[in-house]
Amino acid sequence: MNRFRFLLSAGVVVWLGVVTTAGQAGVRPVRPQAPVKPTTANAEQRTATDATALNATVKRYCVSCHSDKLKTHGLTLEHFDVANAAQNAEVAEAVIRKLQAGFMPPPGMPRPTPDVHATLVTAIETNIDTAAAAKPNPGARVFQRLNRPEYARAIHDLLTLDVDAANWLPLDQKSANFDNIADSQALSPTLLESYLNAAAAISRMAVGDRHAPTIDVTYTNAGYVSQHPWDHIDGAPFGTRGGMVVDHVFPADGEYVFEVSLTSGSNARFEDVDISLNGQRVALLGYETGPAGGADGRGGRNVRTEPILIKAGQHSIAAAFVRRVEGPYEDLIRPHDWSFAGGGSGGPGITTLPHLRDLVIKGPYRVTGISDTPAREKVFSCRPTQPKEERPCAQQIIARIGEEAYRRPLQQAEIDRLMPFFEEASKKSGFEDGVRTALEAILASPYFIFRLEKEPATVKAGASYRISDIDLASRLSFFLWGTTPDEELQNLAVAGKLSGPSSQGELEKQARRMLADRRSDALGERFAAQWLRLQDIDKVHPDPNFYPNFDDNVAHAMVKETEMFFNSLVREDKSVLDLYRADYTFVNERLARHYGIPGVSGDTFRRVQYPDATRRGILGQGSVLVQTSLANRTSPVLRGKWVMEVLMNTPPPPPPPEVPLLDETGESKDGRMLTTRERMEIHRKNPTCASCHKYMDPIGLALDNFDVTGQWRVRENGQPLDTRGDFFDGTPVSSPSDLLTALMKRPTPLVRTFTENLLAYGLGRRVEYYDMPTVRAIVKNAEAGNLKMSAFILGVIKSDAFQMKRAEAVTTDSVAAEKR
Amino acid sequence: MDFITGKHLPRRTFLRGVGATVALPFLDAMVPAGGFLSKKATAATADRTRLICVEEVHGLAGCNNWGASQFLFAPETTGRDFTFVADNPLKTVEAFRDSMTIISNTDVRNAEALNLPEIGGDHFRSSAVFLTQSHPKQTNGSDLFAGTSLDQLYAQRFGQGTPMPSMQFCIENLDQAGGCTYNYSCAYTDTISWASPNEPLPMIRDPRVAFDMLFGAGTSAEDRKARQVTRRSILDWVTGEVERVSKQVGAADRQRLERYLDNVRELERRIQAVEARNNSGEQRALPEAPAGVPDSFSEHMKLMFDIQVLALQTDMTRIISFKTGRDAQNRVFQECDSKQPFHPASHHGNRQERILEFNKINKFRVGQMAYFLEKMKSTMDGDKSLLDKSLVIWGSPMADPNIHNHRRCPLVLFGRANGAIKGNVHLKAEDGTPMANVMLTLLHTLGVDDLKQFGDSTGEFSLKA
Repeated sequence: MNRFRFLLSAGVVVWLGVVTTAGQAGVRPVRPQAPVKPTTANAEQRTATDATALNATVKRYCVSCHSDKLKTHGLTLEHFDVANAAQNAEVAEAVIRKLQAGFMPPPGMPRPTPDVHATLVTAIETNIDTAAAAKPNPGARVFQRLNRPEYARAIHDLLTLDVDAANWLPLDQKSANFDNIADSQALSPTLLESYLNAAAAISRMAVGDRHAPTIDVTYTNAGYVSQHPWDHIDGAPFGTRGGMVVDHVFPADGEYVFEVSLTSGSNARFEDVDISLNGQRVALLGYETGPAGGADGRGGRNVRTEPILIKAGQHSIAAAFVRRVEGPYEDLIRPHDWSFAGGGSGGPGITTLPHLRDLVIKGPYRVTGISDTPAREKVFSCRPTQPKEERPCAQQIIARIGEEAYRRPLQQAEIDRLMPFFEEASKKSGFEDGVRTALEAILASPYFIFRLEKEPATVKAGASYRISDIDLASRLSFFLWGTTPDEELQNLAVAGKLSGPSSQGELEKQARRMLADRRSDALGERFAAQWLRLQDIDKVHPDPNFYPNFDDNVAHAMVKETEMFFNSLVREDKSVLDLYRADYTFVNERLARHYGIPGVSGDTFRRVQYPDATRRGILGQGSVLVQTSLANRTSPVLRGKWVMEVLMNTPPPPPPPEVPLLDETGESKDGRMLTTRERMEIHRKNPTCASCHKYMDPIGLALDNFDVTGQWRVRENGQPLDTRGDFFDGTPVSSPSDLLTALMKRPTPLVRTFTENLLAYGLGRRVEYYDMPTVRAIVKNAEAGNLKMSAFILGVIKSDAFQMKRAEAVTTDSVAAEKR
Repeated sequence: MDFITGKHLPRRTFLRGVGATVALPFLDAMVPAGGFLSKKATAATADRTRLICVEEVHGLAGCNNWGASQFLFAPETTGRDFTFVADNPLKTVEAFRDSMTIISNTDVRNAEALNLPEIGGDHFRSSAVFLTQSHPKQTNGSDLFAGTSLDQLYAQRFGQGTPMPSMQFCIENLDQAGGCTYNYSCAYTDTISWASPNEPLPMIRDPRVAFDMLFGAGTSAEDRKARQVTRRSILDWVTGEVERVSKQVGAADRQRLERYLDNVRELERRIQAVEARNNSGEQRALPEAPAGVPDSFSEHMKLMFDIQVLALQTDMTRIISFKTGRDAQNRVFQECDSKQPFHPASHHGNRQERILEFNKINKFRVGQMAYFLEKMKSTMDGDKSLLDKSLVIWGSPMADPNIHNHRRCPLVLFGRANGAIKGNVHLKAEDGTPMANVMLTLLHTLGVDDLKQFGDSTGEFSLKA
């Protein structure tokens, strides 16, 4: 009783507080009544008045800018009704996002107290979530097609061949960070042709091609890859330096010639190039660099081997230099870790050894036959010994491969429609070519290329339905593995045991099994790499004059570091916040030296604890720090923007037109070089600029101790760095650990952004405002489980959006529009 | 080789096949339905002038002051009565004099350094200037900016009449990331064709790749034919499968599959058209598909020329750009009289014997054109030779390579462009005339007559004697 009275009065006090802050005259406080259970009527009355109070809050703090008249940033909240937020969900979600991040009201403007702020956000969210629970919308998308990485993995699973899909398929368009967003995967005649070309080539690679044409295949090393004596390529024999390792498919047994072309260095004359096949040497080429000089640097001829007899199949070919030097060069100037990025401009006194540029595999000459290869064994599960066994054997192969390729069993009629390919071809050129042609057709089939999902004929437009187990299995395996389902998952799906009331949690069981499997590394390599935009590291080439130590080897190692790090969080089921807080990472010797982590030697990546508190989580990893820099200076603005955009999903608006480039600001003043911060300061004095930059700049400045290549520094241009700043909420931040503390004060936007991205990637469509209740539900569930990774992943899998689909109506208008 | 920026075009454009810039631009310009099968269309477009742009790097010895005084490029007299001195590289193509137009004394000023950081970087931006006559932005990143090149302006207007609106070829190796210095992206050195100021087009180096693109992959003519037959049956069967699956999917998916079927039909039409071209007219023996890139320069040039003539003959394309060298390369031409590496030889230090040594390389390289011109002259297209119906632009954005100078650059036109060009004339431009003026005039001659300006052009250039 007493407790209830206390609660009641506490509630009233809060409510009074709300009213007082709202500054509304004429609203009489309700006297505390006798302690009685609030009836529904009273609760409704209370909610209604709460809403009125909250609307008043909105009016007071928001409408001064976001009014009908001013429409700041295109938003007006003058008629926003908290109690009806669900009716205006799109606007409401934008409001929620800014409030959760704490960005609004902007610093400097009057703010409600934190508990009012929290009450407001919670009220809006509850309103929307309740409405959504009553009328769920799982969303819909058109079918996806296999993009480059998915195609390559599918071929690997199907035929044990490692192909580079880029040989045929065009670049994938990204949308909302990811390359598997269905409506951005445009279809075109070129695309169709590329799938057909791929099918023709891959079917021949798999079965072997006795009539393979004699062609040159060239593999090229980028000039930014360092090939000095301390750079050993994984897969090349020990005792070699640099070079390259490729997995090449030899279409038939025959003679092949290997040719290498080098970028000649200076002050180094004779080199030996070792050519190895699956770890065994097949040739040793002596090479003498020609007259050096010239920016092109190619003084010598290309060298090639004699024809070498090689069996058909996919083999690992390594071409690398025999290492003759240990340790640093004895030069007048001794640049360590000097890559070729400077363009071979070594002059007298600087050693740059020849780098291997191209490896050309020519052949086959004089085909002798086709030996068995893993791919052939995969295809030919039976071999006919008599002519009458051919047809049944072919049928068997087609049915089996078709099932794996289509991700569902084939109907007899479908097999019957594929058999003519076998029959026509085998009549002309034998059993194997017949099977090959049928395989080509399967690989060209829309059932292989597209991930089509069945819709029951009885579903009306606008209604939602559960997708079939077979389609669900595909979604699950492409989400967790980036490839087709394996046998266990497929069998369960075909038997209808994956979902539904009688499945007894089979779906979750399968998901956990798949997460524990090595193939879930795809989450790091595909999901995290795209969410965190790791491929952008290729766009930044730190100026080799300032950062000679940086080359492609380091850049790729950084990407691998982040992917492995993310995968460790998934594998060990850590909290999602460990993305930012973790005190360990994965490095090899090269990267450890770059970061200044002692005691790591060797090429393999291994887990290390950070020796001190300078780096934590992804904000201390090079992949993030390099991609947010320019070639010759850091960019606090880019780093701040990256954090806001990628991690918090509250990107700053684009700059207004005609903002002068930072480069136009003077680089020096009063006889000394300015730091980047000082140059920015001159711009930030302008209040219009400051309105957005006060969010971005402190984040980037707190990270400014990490230079362009992610190394720690305390000076810039000879001047001591000044990284002091105020986080937008007033907290002083001047170091990465300050920044971490500031970010961790508001974990909600970080956690929700992670979930949104995970959901988009898993669903293959952009996350819309009506998905936010799903996002919030997943997060809520995960909060109960300490924010573990598996909770989020399973949350996505168990959501309606993943398991169900809304049938879309297609009006004649839009059809006509498409036909135009 | 990742320097094509993906561009998102509205959906209907994909169906209509306007040149998009995804990874394979030379394949992506699909012909609109019924375009090249209708007789009227073929008649109207059959007389379109073929355009072949050939770039020479490192200028000519004859563009050096002393070399010019010896008439090693521009003959002494202008007009129709010019003669070649014995050492003039153009003597190697003298047999085609009656369709040759020599234009001397034009400048390519946009290849010069306009500010301090650009000084010295001529080799890494010149190629981008040749056909765009625009000053490339000095950058190593993805924010490339040059201009739309002459051949692409023509292709965008008139290239849709052939399966491939245009094709780009080269001889030397590309994409030396890290090997292009002075803060210029390799995209500027690798290519001469630009679909737009920030879209350089990749160039095909391997004759085999070019061949496969024109005629399909395959070991022999029968194999190629067999592969096309297989492809047609696959397309037939795919149509059936798609129609079946359409019944089982949602409405939006069904619509998408409809468009996919349109793509299938588009491909089928293309195969039909290509077959029609290959089967029409007299029986032409397709040469054996080349194995790859030959070692020798002249062999490689001949192969590429063969493929180009074949492409023009079969009307697979009418617009070709060809880059015959790469700036700052050290290649030694084994079959040439001079065994000096190309780039060092071009820095002749203004010494006479070294200028003459460099001239030997010029003679060798220009001499390769004779093979091409001969083939063009002897290949008939209707009642006229291909050479009569074409415009070949041969030139270099550099003049005296020793000092990286871009004034008084070499430029020679071959072919009569369907009667628009008379030939057999040496025209000397007034001092300071931009090469862009000539190119503007040529574009007008080719039919792109609404262009007011090209590169740094200041007006037209009269091609009359």
